Amino acid sequence: MRSLAIFLFSFVIFSCEAQLKTNDAISLQEDAKNYSLETVVDGINNPWGMAFLPDGSLLITEKSGILYHFKNGTKTEVKNLPAVYNRGQGGLMDIVLHPNYAQNGWIYITYAATEGEGEGGNTKLIRAKLENESLVQIESLYKCGPNTTKGQHFGSRIVFDNEGHLYFSAGERGNHFVNPQDITRDNGKIYRLNDDGSIPKDNPFVGQANAKEAIYSYGHRNPQGLAKNPVTGAIWENEHGPQGGDEINIIKKAANYGWPVVTYGIDYDNSIISNIQQKEGIEDPVYYWAPSIAPCGMAFVTSNKYPDWKGHILVGSLKFQYLELVKLDGDKIIGRQKIATNVGRLRNVVQGPDGFIYMGVEGKGIVKIIPN
Amino acid sequence: MITKINIGVSLLLLGGLYLSNPTSFTNSENEYLSIKEQQPTPLQKSIARGKEVYTDFCIQCHMATGKGNGTTFPPLDGSDWLKKKRTESIHAAKYGQKGEIIVNGKKFNGIMPPAGLSDEEVADVMNYVMNSWSNKTKKMVTVKEVALLKP
Repeated sequence: MRSLAIFLFSFVIFSCEAQLKTNDAISLQEDAKNYSLETVVDGINNPWGMAFLPDGSLLITEKSGILYHFKNGTKTEVKNLPAVYNRGQGGLMDIVLHPNYAQNGWIYITYAATEGEGEGGNTKLIRAKLENESLVQIESLYKCGPNTTKGQHFGSRIVFDNEGHLYFSAGERGNHFVNPQDITRDNGKIYRLNDDGSIPKDNPFVGQANAKEAIYSYGHRNPQGLAKNPVTGAIWENEHGPQGGDEINIIKKAANYGWPVVTYGIDYDNSIISNIQQKEGIEDPVYYWAPSIAPCGMAFVTSNKYPDWKGHILVGSLKFQYLELVKLDGDKIIGRQKIATNVGRLRNVVQGPDGFIYMGVEGKGIVKIIPN
Repeated sequence: MITKINIGVSLLLLGGLYLSNPTSFTNSENEYLSIKEQQPTPLQKSIARGKEVYTDFCIQCHMATGKGNGTTFPPLDGSDWLKKKRTESIHAAKYGQKGEIIVNGKKFNGIMPPAGLSDEEVADVMNYVMNSWSNKTKKMVTVKEVALLKP
């Protein structure tokens, strides 16, 4: 009798389990290998963000809390960096220059910080200037709260649009039933600010009771790619799903991207997070990966150096360790191709002012793609 | 046919009734008492805490099954590396792991970034990993053992 109960009980357990439904709509083409790779900066364990200065030198963030300035073949540690909370997926993250950097010198940085309510840390945005290899005039622009000791989902990327607004992402900090769908709470959000950190008057939730007015869109899990579409000016995003359900989204004002109400993924233990993938009032992704590639970094190719890639997006894959070319026709995804096969855990990708593509690769540093 | 369905339905009903009675899983009075009286050992407590750390920091790559993905992320379940290289394993959980290792005859050459865990969290997650799936380890990993390891 007891074995019967266990036998039946096993059905109860199995009924909660699921198999990931793969997305085979667009097949991944093989690497054309019509380029060579050159490591331009080495010895960086986790090159999270990078920004080219007008003189051609390069600022690189290393997750554990080091900011490198790479100039004339040597890398120098920039001083006076704020204390970084390096835990799990959090640490020193993105770095971006103001669109008018040459005039105003502002540098924007996101990192995990411990200040504020609660034990642990959460994503913070600052701006500062670089003088004599030191950060000066540091201004706090936004700090997500409350803190938590959870290891997951800090985001974070920063991007400017054509109107001088700054967008940055913060993941849901491993608290998906609480944060992403609640606009009175931080995390699981894309924020929009003016360049001085003030909140634009036309932000969607301004004036709503208890709302975090910096929020621009919500229902995100862990966005680690943000880029401006050079044709439309829209902000594009990629984010990590659980097992399956990584997404590419076009960020719209006040839009809900659904996590965890809808998802194309399942949990790491194969349990179901949601039985639905689409719902009215929730934005469907432009594309989703199943199984997950663990997308990190995003860049639009505008350079003439790569004729086959121009007008398309590049996305790094942490999990499968390659760069993915996501081919576009307008706002539609029409193709996928592998680049830099087995290069390593790909953390970041940018197009430099010289028109070349640079990748941040874990355990290596910065790798340049030189077309044949 | 009808009899078969009848048997099926009555089996399901019976099973359902059985499940709805929580005491039905304990066969005898003795067993019930012994479960109630047993206090969890320090190792059991550490394993329980370690499970939370695992779900938070490790599961994305090493999976709920502890089997990894066979290519970039090595298995923990049944891993000879874990079994033979206790110190190196604890070191990896504390400071991360980089470079080539051979697990169950297979080469892995990836990077595991340091997770920023406290010494207690490292001890807990190691006790969980070393006593989950098919893994069993008698000697408990202590906070002191973790604290002694230097980068």
